[in-house]
Amino acid sequence: MSTARALIDLEISRAWLVDPYARREGPGEIVVRDGVLESVTWLEGREADGIDDRGVVVAPGFIDLHAHFREPGNRAAETIASGLAAAAHGGFTSVCLMPNTSPAMDQPWLLAGLRAAVEASGSPLEVLAYGTATAGRAGEQLAGLGAMADAGVVGFSDDGAPIASATIFRSALAYAGMLGLPVVDHPEEGSLTDGAEANDGLVATVLGLRGWPSVAEAIAVGRDLALLADVVREVPTARLHLTHLSTPESLDLVRRAKAAGLPVTCDITPHHLALTDEWLAGSRRLAWDALDDRGERRDPWLDGVLEAPPYETSLRVNPPLRSPADAAACLAALLDGTADAIATDHAPHTEVDKDVEFGLAANGISGIETALGLVLEAVDAGRLPLAIAVAALTAGPARVLGSRADGRPRGLVEGECANLVVVDRSARWLVTAEGLASNGKNSPLLGRELPGSVLATVADGRLAYEAP
Amino acid sequence: MVEHAWRHRHLLDTEGLSWPDIELVMRTAGEMAAIVAGEAEAEPVLRGVNVTNLFYEASTRTRVSFEVAATRLGADVVNVTASGSSVTKGESLLDTMRTLEATGARILVMRHASSGAPHLVARHFAGSVVNAGDGWHAHPTQALLDLFTMQAHLPGGSLKDRKVVILGDILHSRVARSNLWVLSAAGADVWICGPSTLLRGFDAWGRAGIGGRSFTVTSDVSAALRGADVVMALRIQKERMAGGLLPSLGEYASRFGLTRERLGLAAPNAIVMHPGPMNEGVEIAADVANGPQSVITEQVVNGVPVRMALLKLINDVRTAA
Repeated sequence: MSTARALIDLEISRAWLVDPYARREGPGEIVVRDGVLESVTWLEGREADGIDDRGVVVAPGFIDLHAHFREPGNRAAETIASGLAAAAHGGFTSVCLMPNTSPAMDQPWLLAGLRAAVEASGSPLEVLAYGTATAGRAGEQLAGLGAMADAGVVGFSDDGAPIASATIFRSALAYAGMLGLPVVDHPEEGSLTDGAEANDGLVATVLGLRGWPSVAEAIAVGRDLALLADVVREVPTARLHLTHLSTPESLDLVRRAKAAGLPVTCDITPHHLALTDEWLAGSRRLAWDALDDRGERRDPWLDGVLEAPPYETSLRVNPPLRSPADAAACLAALLDGTADAIATDHAPHTEVDKDVEFGLAANGISGIETALGLVLEAVDAGRLPLAIAVAALTAGPARVLGSRADGRPRGLVEGECANLVVVDRSARWLVTAEGLASNGKNSPLLGRELPGSVLATVADGRLAYEAP
Repeated sequence: MVEHAWRHRHLLDTEGLSWPDIELVMRTAGEMAAIVAGEAEAEPVLRGVNVTNLFYEASTRTRVSFEVAATRLGADVVNVTASGSSVTKGESLLDTMRTLEATGARILVMRHASSGAPHLVARHFAGSVVNAGDGWHAHPTQALLDLFTMQAHLPGGSLKDRKVVILGDILHSRVARSNLWVLSAAGADVWICGPSTLLRGFDAWGRAGIGGRSFTVTSDVSAALRGADVVMALRIQKERMAGGLLPSLGEYASRFGLTRERLGLAAPNAIVMHPGPMNEGVEIAADVANGPQSVITEQVVNGVPVRMALLKLINDVRTAA
């Protein structure tokens, strides 16, 4: 491995350590020698004086359950190398790549190409891959699930092209379950969202955009859960992961399904947590600032907060940015454990695909580098405890992945090779196109300051990112 | 009195217009109407200015109205009919804009099927953009000529607390949306009425209101029309049946069509409006469209001075910039 980076030495004293795997946080120090986490010291008493969670924070490296790198097919939007650099900049040490490349990852040999690109990048990050659930993501027949499982995929997904046929979806759950792998679904009832441009609600009505109704997600989640309940009776190892849930109704269905013991997990995205549809009209306030004391949505027109031009295509994403109350439901789901993880749905696009009419613009936000910042906005606002935020980026997604992704040590474990992120919470950083390592500059946060500057990301004992 | 200063380089929608802005447009349009009527001398304020009409959707009335308005002010008018298929040919809207900019366009009047398209162009175009209709979103010159027409017929020229009913396919209507902003600014008592499927989403907007002023959303056509001072019918398109939103045009006509009998519920001097083109016998009965209360032709006539006024105001800001 000529491109591999050197194992590092690193000492961080008087920091705030957060280790969700050990369910512990507090003042501490770490020492990394030759890439190995040699010691983790928790400070107590007078030694801990003056250390709080507002300064330097050390946490296990983040795991992203949902990222799109565009290689093969659209290297201008993202290559494996640029995506991995972006992930490291965001504090991630593991990424799970969605298979909607071109060609789609529906054959084991395509995974070999992916591994070669990772190797060539020299990045020390852990790259995990989903295979497609159906051939060519066409939703008609199962992809070569067994062969892809043998090649090491961590699950199956037709993300973005949800399987319309309940029969095929049931088969995917059962077959993947037999292989011990989850099916990851992007829940969307397509007959309700044909041509949809924005969340069906006040903002879409005012802006004249075609609505994507919440119920289209709830209907799909309801179907998926009903099929899962049916399948697990005969295939107890079947598992369902629902990605980027965005509505109170669908999160509530998952909440109840979990209470009933169904093997279901789900994630939410940073943008559905912190941003809302009023950004499409030109507002730039965060989700929790858009609700009044009674939990009702404030009127951005009346409030005079429309500061940016409307129809900014970097905000076009699927599922769409939703109402402030919907964002609050995402937050509540994190707090009560309904949502297992925060996943970025990092979706880089070129200007060619974004500098067009809103309704023609490609869906997606380049978000892997701003995920931590948006989550920390919620923490800073007092809406989300830091420990839960970090858990949703580490132990939560690790639990979703299960034993299939046990290749790397998880948590701040002495004697193991280091996978960690060092963040300065006291430092804000300006999001700029040049500052993003991703080829995709399609971020609605350009020009905005975010809290929590990543100082260093260490993966596999090697420096993956270091602040300049 | 200090003259209110117009500060908009583009006209993209009506939500960005203050009431003093709107009053200035009305005053300026009044002056332009005198010019059109031959009572005053036209000042060629657009002499040598290239006004390009870029229409991605077919339109006769709006395009011709803009063309006449610009010509009256001395502009060089260029008409571009771009088909929606230019997208599939690979030329983006911004590419087209840059081409027109390079060939001299200074004011771009555009109509496009995608909501927000003029906002995209305005962010990159060196001159001024005038929205002649974008998707379901806005048709600001139509709403302003509608107001101009209403003011001419209402006692005192004021819309304050006057009941204005917009009847028809509200969901897909840029005319309705632009009128909601203008009429709310004018202080009118606004009602929108149509089948439930064509009102989707508006109930929440009506309750939230505009500028703190709520409007009424109903499918009860009798309640809507009762005592109305202005009734504006909107075009019903055949595509709405394919989309499962309406059973048939005939059923629409019988339940929501503006007939002489229904118009009888409105105030005796109520005026009848329609932004055109009309389906007579569907959303409006022929005898109402052509009856004594109809000001539909007047709307078309007023389109010219109102568009002249807007072109002048915008051009003044453009050249000052």
